Amino acid sequence: MVDVTDKLDCRGEVCPYPDVKSKRKAKKMNSGEILEILIDYPLSAERIPETMKSMGNEVLSIDKVGVSEWKIVVQIK
Amino acid sequence: MAIDIVVVLIPGLILGIIFGFILQRGRFCMNSAFRDIILLKEFKLAKSVALTILVSMLGFSIMSFAGIITLNPKQFAWGGNIVGGLIFGIGMVLAAGCASGTTYRVGEGMMGSFIALLGFAGGAYFTKFGVLNPIAKTLQDNTKITNPDGSALTLFGDLTPIFMLIIGIVGIVIIGYFWIWRELRAKKRENKPLFDFSNFGHKTFKQGWHWAVTAIAIGIVACFAYVSSAAAGRNYPLGITGGWVGWNKFWNTGVDSALGWETWLVIGIVIGAFISAIIAKEFKLRTPKHAKTIVIQFIGGLAMGFGAITAMGCNIGNILSGFPLLSLGSLLSGAFIILGCWLMAYLLFMWRKD
Repeated sequence: MVDVTDKLDCRGEVCPYPDVKSKRKAKKMNSGEILEILIDYPLSAERIPETMKSMGNEVLSIDKVGVSEWKIVVQIK
Repeated sequence: MAIDIVVVLIPGLILGIIFGFILQRGRFCMNSAFRDIILLKEFKLAKSVALTILVSMLGFSIMSFAGIITLNPKQFAWGGNIVGGLIFGIGMVLAAGCASGTTYRVGEGMMGSFIALLGFAGGAYFTKFGVLNPIAKTLQDNTKITNPDGSALTLFGDLTPIFMLIIGIVGIVIIGYFWIWRELRAKKRENKPLFDFSNFGHKTFKQGWHWAVTAIAIGIVACFAYVSSAAAGRNYPLGITGGWVGWNKFWNTGVDSALGWETWLVIGIVIGAFISAIIAKEFKLRTPKHAKTIVIQFIGGLAMGFGAITAMGCNIGNILSGFPLLSLGSLLSGAFIILGCWLMAYLLFMWRKD
């Protein structure tokens, strides 16, 4: 298990808030820190990892943790 | 019942179910597609929209030359196109989904989208038949320009069908080379298999589709939809707005004839998206976290409804179906839908933030 620095719960947020909030959060975090994002919106499950990668961060895992629920773990670079 | 089940109800419903299934698998939403260009610098859905339009354009022109369909582009009325398009574009950002996106998300169990849909259907109905009609009518009637014979203006006049063929082929080749071929080449460099058909069922039913697969699938559905819709007496490919207006009219007047091909298509989209979401375990009844969001989505829906009637089409009628027909009115409406989307996305998500 990695040590999660910060968590972001975007369940119940409509498009594109999960993406916008994750992006803002990731920008504020320091290099090496781990961000865990919880979402329930299918499009964001594919789009957030893409956005994180294009920001230069490393996507450690994308897990489907329930019905229409995903946990994305990102390491900030 | 005056509803023709064989020609109107069943074909509309079945095509709707297929369309809804693809929309949900491909997460195909034009609001996201246009907005993400500026907001997230993410182009997958925009590429998907572009390829869908080109596949439809090629298909429509071939079917037209073969005499299977009669091209029926929308009329040009710049006042309605500009004002309606802009308001629709602003509305879809607030509603968190375009007309098709909002419709398929109802099938995913998103209550916010359901509320937005009520606003959309209501706004469209009041603009088509009610208090807001004079505004739309004034904007359209005073700015309408047609060909001398009354037919709709298209980008290349009489040569439009042949240009549709050329643009369709050239466009698909360009997209194929610059986007798809390069993606494949990058895969090859990483020594990954070009086409991985393992876990085919899992990829088809459990994961989101590749943007090009979605685009080709929707383009093919659009071609079948044109034939089926024309057979039902509605000579136009896919559309959403008319479907929800039809349901509203039926509820208000009880007239069976309000339930045309498009009304069954939109119901089919919800059912198709529901089936797809259930299989992928993505169906969940969910309400937005903040009550304010629901109010904003409803207002966005209302704006979309007004805009769609004023611009003579939503993003499906004007962009997905209208761009392939090279209708000047649809091209203008579509341009302003995109501008409205960018304007609102900038104000909501980018201005004074980050």
